[in-house]
Amino acid sequence: MNWGIIGENLPLYAEGAKLTLFLAFGALLISFPLAVSLAFVRNSKVRALRYAVTIYTLVFRGTPLLVQLFLIYFGLAQFGLIRTSILWPWLSSPIVCVLIAYVLNTTAYSTEIFAGGLRHIPVGEIEAARAYGLSHWAQARRILIPAMLTRSLPLYGNEMIMVLQATSLASTVTLLEITGVARRITLDYYIQFEPYVTAAAIYLTITLVLVTIFHFVQRRWAGYLDPRSS
Amino acid sequence: MNRHLKTICIFALSSLALSSAHAEKLNIATDATFPPFESIDSSGKLVGFDVDMMEAICKAAALDCNIFNAAWDGMFPGLVSGKYDALVSQLTVTEKRRQTFAFSDIYDHPIFRFVAKKGATFDFTPEGLAGKTIAVQTGTPMDAYVTNHIPQAQIKRYDSGSAPFLELSSGRADLVLGYQAQIAHGFLNGDSGMGFELVGPQLTGKDAKEFGEGVAIAINKKNTKLVEDVNKGLAVIRKDGTLNALMVKYFGK
Repeated sequence: MNWGIIGENLPLYAEGAKLTLFLAFGALLISFPLAVSLAFVRNSKVRALRYAVTIYTLVFRGTPLLVQLFLIYFGLAQFGLIRTSILWPWLSSPIVCVLIAYVLNTTAYSTEIFAGGLRHIPVGEIEAARAYGLSHWAQARRILIPAMLTRSLPLYGNEMIMVLQATSLASTVTLLEITGVARRITLDYYIQFEPYVTAAAIYLTITLVLVTIFHFVQRRWAGYLDPRSS
Repeated sequence: MNRHLKTICIFALSSLALSSAHAEKLNIATDATFPPFESIDSSGKLVGFDVDMMEAICKAAALDCNIFNAAWDGMFPGLVSGKYDALVSQLTVTEKRRQTFAFSDIYDHPIFRFVAKKGATFDFTPEGLAGKTIAVQTGTPMDAYVTNHIPQAQIKRYDSGSAPFLELSSGRADLVLGYQAQIAHGFLNGDSGMGFELVGPQLTGKDAKEFGEGVAIAINKKNTKLVEDVNKGLAVIRKDGTLNALMVKYFGK
């Protein structure tokens, strides 16, 4: 066992963890408002809008994230038109490509989660809101969105953890996040067990923190949905 | 009853003998992202100079070899752990690698070169390359060289031998450092290599120790018998002209 090598490279892992957190939470922060809005469109009365969102979520849930990432990072770069466009300075950066791929992917999943939550709001709550004469905007802001989010919490928590683990794919496009650091050490020192175990331990720690936070959030805001103990 | 027991014993023994014969088959890994040395052709077959050479060595030394494609980042750890018996992947012999692996005799002395877009000019000094993006494969002599000698450049590292060239074509990288033969016969002669050219000095192990002593077959340090066998095979194909014929076939030299 070569734990000394891991010790020497702990600063690299710290940098990697920072990048992992940046990628995961960056993608989640951008995707959250998008997914909340799209959840309403997904349940819209206008058929064309509803279908458009359904097709989007189907495509991005129906293809692997790694393929999406490669298409955006390597695939788009093949077209001269894109390379000469004003978008290229952005698209040439691996961080931007990774964020685009993750946002598109997690927004697709989150949209379906939220749309499901929206469909499960008891009709009575919505009718009560209407009876009070709330405007559409006030209905959404004060009744629908909070009710939808609290009902979606457990599933959305899962999705956040999936995004965290999915950041490991960023190492395939040169980013040195936690997995990238482990692969780098593998190639520099010819050991595999120690670097990957260390990476796994860091992911597990971050996940444990997330799960704990979710537990409290769930109790605080969604506790009223739990079955009453007699 | 007794006879039955005997039959069972014979069966058990023969299957034991069979399995030990099976273990004789050598697992030889190569990273097939490195034409013309090793790559996968359109029919899914492993092809290239190293592959042909290794097959010739195995034949000459009467070794039962199974050469297959493996991921670059798992090759060296796989050799240490015994998952692979040998690696043939245009591997440069360096001091650092010698500490961990055994090597066969050296079979070629590669030249390393930069490749860039035609017409682009560079000042090939560490200061002149400051800020330029150089793409290399991780954990290679090229990686070690730019890391140690051109730290002012922006270095992008990839897990495969072919990805740096993709990045050069797309314009994400200004320069790729690679084996001259790899660039000339694996990249420039293909469609994606149009509009690019070899640039800068010809680099060898004499210019920097990172470029090593030459290329050889890496073998598990404990397996001294295999080192001997491979060297024997290598001597045979060197003497009978097979090695030379392969060099001419692939590199025209």
